[in-house]
Amino acid sequence: MNYIENTYICLAAPLLLAILLLRRDGRRALLFLTAGMTACLLSAYVSSFTAGAIGMDLAMASHEISPVVEELMKSFPLLFYILIFEPRKEHAISATLLTAVGFATFENVCFLTAYGTKDLPRLLIRGFGTGAMHVMCGMAVSVGLYFLWEKIWLRAVGGFALLCFVITYHALFNILVNQTGAAFWIGSAVPLTMMLGYFLFLRKRIILS
Amino acid sequence: MIESLENAAQLTALFICLCVAVPRAFTNRSRAWVLLAFFFGSFMLGDLYWQACLIFYEDTPAVSVVSDVSWYASYVFLYMLLREVSPPEKIRKKSFFPYAGPVFAAGMAIFFMQWGKFFSNAVTGALMGLLLYASIIRLLPGNDTGSSRSLSLCVLLFCLAEHAVWTASCFWEYDTLLNPYYWFDIFVSLLFFFFLSAVKKAVKT
Repeated sequence: MNYIENTYICLAAPLLLAILLLRRDGRRALLFLTAGMTACLLSAYVSSFTAGAIGMDLAMASHEISPVVEELMKSFPLLFYILIFEPRKEHAISATLLTAVGFATFENVCFLTAYGTKDLPRLLIRGFGTGAMHVMCGMAVSVGLYFLWEKIWLRAVGGFALLCFVITYHALFNILVNQTGAAFWIGSAVPLTMMLGYFLFLRKRIILS
Repeated sequence: MIESLENAAQLTALFICLCVAVPRAFTNRSRAWVLLAFFFGSFMLGDLYWQACLIFYEDTPAVSVVSDVSWYASYVFLYMLLREVSPPEKIRKKSFFPYAGPVFAAGMAIFFMQWGKFFSNAVTGALMGLLLYASIIRLLPGNDTGSSRSLSLCVLLFCLAEHAVWTASCFWEYDTLLNPYYWFDIFVSLLFFFFLSAVKKAVKT
């Protein structure tokens, strides 16, 4: 039995305490990291409940239910931030990326508690592959928001379309990493390669925040 | 076999178009190119997801939400692109004729509901109706849409070709090149390249 809520409390407690002490950018960063971790915890509950309600097995749920639930959950903190605080574009973009990082971190911790810490190569692939995938999803939303920020209707409609875009990207990743052999390697390598490509060729053209 | 080859050809076409659109989006910092890149990306991801399910699970997705949302996203990006290169303020002449688009899309959505699901067909019908209306109104003589007319034409042809693909898939199921489904799908794949030149033309001016 894996009590992920206990793991969550242990991880989130120091972050929550630090949030009380920090100011401005530091506080915002930690807040969104914690929000990402919370989103991960909640999406685990919602995904398992939905899969159980539909009567779907775990493998199918991992690419048909989880991506939808996880990306929706990840978008809620950002949606709340944009609607209530009306932040600047740069702040919203950092919030998106930090939520994705928090989500990926907590997901990796859950993976560690479930499968142990012995197999380093597997953990490296898991850590970098899944981490890169979540960050890539955050980056896709960030790049989209960067260009669509000016008008409210563009932000709203574009935000929905971007969410749909990352759901499919996430689902495709889950299908590939659930396979063995070449498909697994390709699935794990694609997000990392895309991130490297961004850093090498495109980063100078667009500084997100 | 033919279906897999045809899907592979469409994915290749989309990948090439994406590889052209992404660097331009970053180089020109143009919203139109970004929207076009997201359109290609979304459509390609939807196709890839569908194809991955066929390859690894030998079946279409049980709950086709994921690939559906990807295609919805691509239609939304296309609509945003059309509004970006040809803003509604430029449209002065109104007529009843563009409403034929939503009426046609609604009729077809009701028709497709015999085979598919109610919700996905309703959403697709609504988005297609919006795209058809937006493209037809921009093609009306007298509207000052200038260089973006070719993009409007591409969008109109894309919508009609998509409807043709879906209609063909309702009636013909044989896996040979004589199936009209493949003709229209190949036409859609070729059309993606025309989107590139249409956006280039629209952004230049």
